[in-house]
Amino acid sequence: MKESEIAIVIPLYNEESVIDHVLSELTGMFPQYSIIVVDDNSTDTSYQHVLNHSVYLLKHIINLGQGAALQTGIEYARELNCKIVITFDSDGQHDPKYIEPFIAPLQNNEADIILGSRFLGTTENMPLQKKYLLKASRVFTWMTTGILLTDSHNGFRAIHIGRFPNFEIIQNRMAHASEIINIIKELKMRYQEKACTIRYTEYTLKKGQSMWNSINIVLDYFLGNMMK
Amino acid sequence: MIFIKFLLITILTIIFVIFSFSSKLKIFQKLIVISGYLLVFIFIINPSYSDEVAHLFSIQSGTDLVVYIVLALTVLMNIILYVGQNNNNRMITKIVRENAKQHAKKSA
Repeated sequence: MKESEIAIVIPLYNEESVIDHVLSELTGMFPQYSIIVVDDNSTDTSYQHVLNHSVYLLKHIINLGQGAALQTGIEYARELNCKIVITFDSDGQHDPKYIEPFIAPLQNNEADIILGSRFLGTTENMPLQKKYLLKASRVFTWMTTGILLTDSHNGFRAIHIGRFPNFEIIQNRMAHASEIINIIKELKMRYQEKACTIRYTEYTLKKGQSMWNSINIVLDYFLGNMMK
Repeated sequence: MIFIKFLLITILTIIFVIFSFSSKLKIFQKLIVISGYLLVFIFIINPSYSDEVAHLFSIQSGTDLVVYIVLALTVLMNIILYVGQNNNNRMITKIVRENAKQHAKKSA
């Protein structure tokens, strides 16, 4: 597989203070990969910041949500003839050094999707409340899909979209994480979990999901499944 | 009492007329709307009939029957609205996505 057939998809929303650092790291380490940034109609200057980097830049004219931004990035990666997509957060939580270990099993045909797990790796400064919320979502995912993961809501993934042309995220907002696990089951994808470090900083914690929002996510997930 | 009945019938008739003229209904839908109108009309004229109809369904009083019907209609309306909104959202997502892909640029 050519290295240009690998894309890194980054959904972006209001990350003007960190996006430069994230993209500098990625373009520096992986100049050979197609880096696709999907700006989900940021209200700050994030879009202008991205223009300074050598990446593909797409913009939603209205805010749709992270799931929709990911799907837009995946569809554009298909147009660029990419076979593997890495989904990577724009807030600086993810460490790019894990990208290559994530790609290797897909290239060696050992798996179709690699899911990042903060509980297999090291996690810096994770609040206790967040930890229990993630544990609860793990049980929820197991109950709804039958797949038991150590971390079901990690945005760091590697997906072999070349083997699965019908891989499609329908959930526009945060329920897409549970939906992806459901897709794994439906498409009978071979999955692996791999350790990755999540860097919790004051900034990322401030922007993270609240307890109340997780109720909305569960509701979105069930209603979205009903409408499929 | 007669004034209240007259007022209710007037409101009901106005809603019925507006609904009939503003919607393109199929024949069976028209029949449902006309039956509903007549039923409510009779219940307003003679409320004791609602008790008799309620008894047919083993419901104690006509008031309970009306509450159940309103509740069922509200749930049905919510589902119809949710489905419609969901379809619109999907179409909007498609348009926004196509627009984003068409205007994609390679920066720097």
